[in-house]
Amino acid sequence: MMWVCTGCSCLCDDIEIEGDVVRHACRIGAGLYLNRSVARAEPLIDGKRTDIDSAIERAVEILKDSKSVAIYGLNNSTLEAQKIAMKIAEKISAYVDNGSKFGKLAEMILRKEIPSTTLENVKDYAYVIFYWGCDVHNSMPRHMSRYTYYPRGKKRQRGYEEDRFLVVVDVRRSHTAMLAKKNAVFIKTDDDGKLIREFLTALEGGIASGDVLRVVKELKKSDFNVIFGGGGLIEGLGNEFEEFVRFVSNVGYFIPADYRTNSMGFFKSLFEAGIPKANLEDLLIDEKVDTAIIVGSDPLNSMPFDVAKRLLKLKLIVIDPKVSFTSKMADVVIPSAISGVECGGKMIRSDFVEVELKPIFKSEYDDAKILRSISEGL
Amino acid sequence: MPSPMDIYKLLPKTNCKLCGEQTCMSFAFKLIKKEKKLEDCKPLFEPEFEEQRKKIEEMLKVVEKATETGLVVNEDLCIGCGNCIVVCPVHVYEDPEGAGSGFGVRLENPILRVENGVVRVVDVGLCRRYKEKTICVACRENCPTSAIAFLEEL
Repeated sequence: MMWVCTGCSCLCDDIEIEGDVVRHACRIGAGLYLNRSVARAEPLIDGKRTDIDSAIERAVEILKDSKSVAIYGLNNSTLEAQKIAMKIAEKISAYVDNGSKFGKLAEMILRKEIPSTTLENVKDYAYVIFYWGCDVHNSMPRHMSRYTYYPRGKKRQRGYEEDRFLVVVDVRRSHTAMLAKKNAVFIKTDDDGKLIREFLTALEGGIASGDVLRVVKELKKSDFNVIFGGGGLIEGLGNEFEEFVRFVSNVGYFIPADYRTNSMGFFKSLFEAGIPKANLEDLLIDEKVDTAIIVGSDPLNSMPFDVAKRLLKLKLIVIDPKVSFTSKMADVVIPSAISGVECGGKMIRSDFVEVELKPIFKSEYDDAKILRSISEGL
Repeated sequence: MPSPMDIYKLLPKTNCKLCGEQTCMSFAFKLIKKEKKLEDCKPLFEPEFEEQRKKIEEMLKVVEKATETGLVVNEDLCIGCGNCIVVCPVHVYEDPEGAGSGFGVRLENPILRVENGVVRVVDVGLCRRYKEKTICVACRENCPTSAIAFLEEL
């Protein structure tokens, strides 16, 4: 049986499932399917077992009583569920955040201010492939072998050793950087802005360091080069994207390397609904919210401790298929389905291509249905 | 990987020829190449050599895990990225539309296949190291987690 893996934003669609054997999926995807029944969440109100409908009713009551709401997560939900969440946000003028910092760049891609392409085109035509500030070998394990560096494409028949040039830019020698061997460069940098300026100077014929000049020489061999930027790049750039955009338009294309499964779908839904992206960490520090709906995310685990402990002061409504730190501290827990495994829909890959999911099982309650009931209740 | 000398030091060193070899040293060589089994050395199974035998068994554990081409896969370190499958020259030649183009390998009996998130050796018969005796290390070179190794490098 064919399956679309929802382990990361690669959304690999060539996975075969036969009983309890998952073929071709990486450890993240195989784990998602094989451990689907481990640590499942139960419907809870204040830690006491209840049924799903009463939990939804209680969530609606909490939302009606609250003054300011934040909706957080939605990275593992389908596009349909995200759109309903946006409607709820409009209805109760809630803040929306998914914990990803790619918002600005995603918006620029959607506005066509920065050139972007699809991963299929990368496979067929790309020559120089940059991995800037991301360790895709660990965050999206099949990214390089399925879409970018290793596979042979239409115009790139001779494989990675001759027809590709890999550039890895990072602050440390990550696993991805270890793959930069023959026909490849690893550039270690602590200052992304400075390195981009150096590249721009070299592209205009100026003086730069040896590695940069070597990359620029390779860049001129092809008109289809691509940059994959990760969290490290966004942190490094801060809020100054001007030089980076100039660099990308000189080089070729940019594709975000955000591992969060449907984070690009989130940004697209947000962009279409015209809602500005909030930052839950800032909202917590400024004490601007009194209730939070957490959908398929575990902020208590992932946020810095000083910020995370402020979450406990809020009324928490958690919609999650699994038990998490946040669900253990929540006022209301509504168990949901694992998107892609137990419920279908659409998701958007990291290069903004829509992928239709192929669920193996069926579940009565999924994110979209739960959010719809909450929306109707309001 | 243990050297033949390491193993020889622990053998009875009597050159008794019961194993069919002329010397204990040549028995040690064949033991590593998997052409002889430890059971062939009968004196080693007598009580006085028990400690030495256990040491040799410990040393041979790594040899046992290896396939005919010397390929050793440590599944605990593998994350299932599939780099080894896509770079394998034999996979590219035999399955250009599948593994060669980045998809999951479509051969019935490939050399390697990712199953349940980790790489498994399915059939080394196709491997260039087995058929043509070429020293090909494409799969190991592109495995940054060191899940793939070859016996001669251990």
